[in-house]
Amino acid sequence: MSTKASRAAARLMISPSVILLLGWMLIPLGMTLYFSVLRYNLLMPGDNPFVGFENYSYFLTDPGFTAAIWNTLALVLGVLVITIVGGILLALLLDQPMWGQGIVRILVIAPFFVMPTVSALVWKNMFLNPVNGLFAHLFKALGLTPYDFLAQAPLASIIGIVAWQWLPFATLILLTALQSLDSEQLEAAEMDGASPLSRFRFIMLPHLARAITVVILIQTIFLLSVFAEILVTTNGGPGYASTNLTYLIYVQSLLQYDVGMGSAGGVVAIILANIVAIFLMRMIGKNLET
Amino acid sequence: MSRAVKPQRKALNTVLAWGMGLLIFFPILWTVLTSFKTEAEAIADPPIWFNFSWTLENYFTVQERSNYFRHFWNSVVISVGSTLIGLIIAVPAAWAMAFVPGKRTKDVLMWMLSTKMLPPVGVLVPLYLIFRDLGLLDTRIGLVFVLTMINLPIIIWMLYTYFREIPVDILEAARMDGAGLRDEVVHVLLPMAVPGMASTVLLNIILAWNEAFWTLNLTAAKAAPLTAFIASYSSPEGLFYAKLSAASTMAIAPILIMGWFSQKQLVRGLTFGAVK
Repeated sequence: MSTKASRAAARLMISPSVILLLGWMLIPLGMTLYFSVLRYNLLMPGDNPFVGFENYSYFLTDPGFTAAIWNTLALVLGVLVITIVGGILLALLLDQPMWGQGIVRILVIAPFFVMPTVSALVWKNMFLNPVNGLFAHLFKALGLTPYDFLAQAPLASIIGIVAWQWLPFATLILLTALQSLDSEQLEAAEMDGASPLSRFRFIMLPHLARAITVVILIQTIFLLSVFAEILVTTNGGPGYASTNLTYLIYVQSLLQYDVGMGSAGGVVAIILANIVAIFLMRMIGKNLET
Repeated sequence: MSRAVKPQRKALNTVLAWGMGLLIFFPILWTVLTSFKTEAEAIADPPIWFNFSWTLENYFTVQERSNYFRHFWNSVVISVGSTLIGLIIAVPAAWAMAFVPGKRTKDVLMWMLSTKMLPPVGVLVPLYLIFRDLGLLDTRIGLVFVLTMINLPIIIWMLYTYFREIPVDILEAARMDGAGLRDEVVHVLLPMAVPGMASTVLLNIILAWNEAFWTLNLTAAKAAPLTAFIASYSSPEGLFYAKLSAASTMAIAPILIMGWFSQKQLVRGLTFGAVK
């Protein structure tokens, strides 16, 4: 039914979205690229001379950069491992027959809806605080010395907080995928004497593969940009111990007013995210066809 | 359930699942409980579970000291505003791509999604400077604009996946019965599209409500929504757990309730239709 007139109308209907998104993408991107080759600090007014790749070489050789890359990697991988392993186990559990399944689902999904600043503050103060936190009380009750989580193990603590926020997402998606599994196949395997472990390994896991990939890729996009949790809990410290790439660029641009360096960092972040994005686009593209 | 399950097995599952569920939910439960305590009870060691003097005082204090409802209203305006504007822009686009697909529709969709992959920090500097020069820093209108653009690709995608499921044949049937284009849209298509649009709106309000990169970086005192307002509690000011809990409870309660209603759509929306 697509006549010439309807094609033209369709194009007209799509164009506002395309124009807006194009502007949203290209204008700031162009500015970031342009600023990244200038010596441009808001604290030093005057000319902003062209300096070529100076900002890039400063940014890439900064000790903070190496630390930030490793922390970003640790954060993304740590949260992915916890949420996927935990998510599979939880999804398997929630898929079993039980009483009050709906309520348990609601309890499990809840952390996903808690805004990042709230979950970071609640964890930081009410749980991880070495004096008044619940964990400190627990440690004392067990006769142990309270542990200052955010000072001694800042990155691991942040990984824990972020994993708490994303575990529900992974669980919900894996559970949805698990529920679409044909139960007759499982019953047949059971009757043929397949052990629970091999039923999981050869029937469930392959069925979950697509959902797992989706979880990995979507979470990666969000986890590369973790910001509020770091800002609220540790401010990236002590030193660079919990600074990720996003936080490092924020410090350089909005706290040190170094527009040039912040922009160079921004370009680096965009390139890294693109590498991840290419995989994601390929996979979603494939799913579009089915 | 076709398989017969032993009651012992079911009881074991129930205990395990409820245990895990309560463990995961515990930080939220603890926050809600603490919000009704006095500050001294909030940090008591050993912790007081239910046997404390329940009080609403913290809620009043939070409102009095920091004008909580202004920030609450900022969150409402920003999340609802950006979602509705996004919807107005997205409906025609998703509609056209779902019902009059061209050769390049898929490319356009994938490109739109790719804008979502741009890390926000990559464009933080220029956006901050543009906002400064246009006087948009710490304004609600500025944040509405940013969040509209951030969520537009998701809105278009969600609507597209919903619209695509509307059977086109039914249009032909309506036309045979003598329905005009207007009747087609108003009486046939719209009723079928409304549930999908409602879920899209719900999910996007949730995402916008909890967005914490741009809201933290582009607002100060005036236009700060709850994400940024709560962050101001990170400066230690003596005994404040109970007040922090009250502010947190109010900030998450509305969205938690909306979220529980939109569980199913959440999976679909956040995976761009890849998992349903």
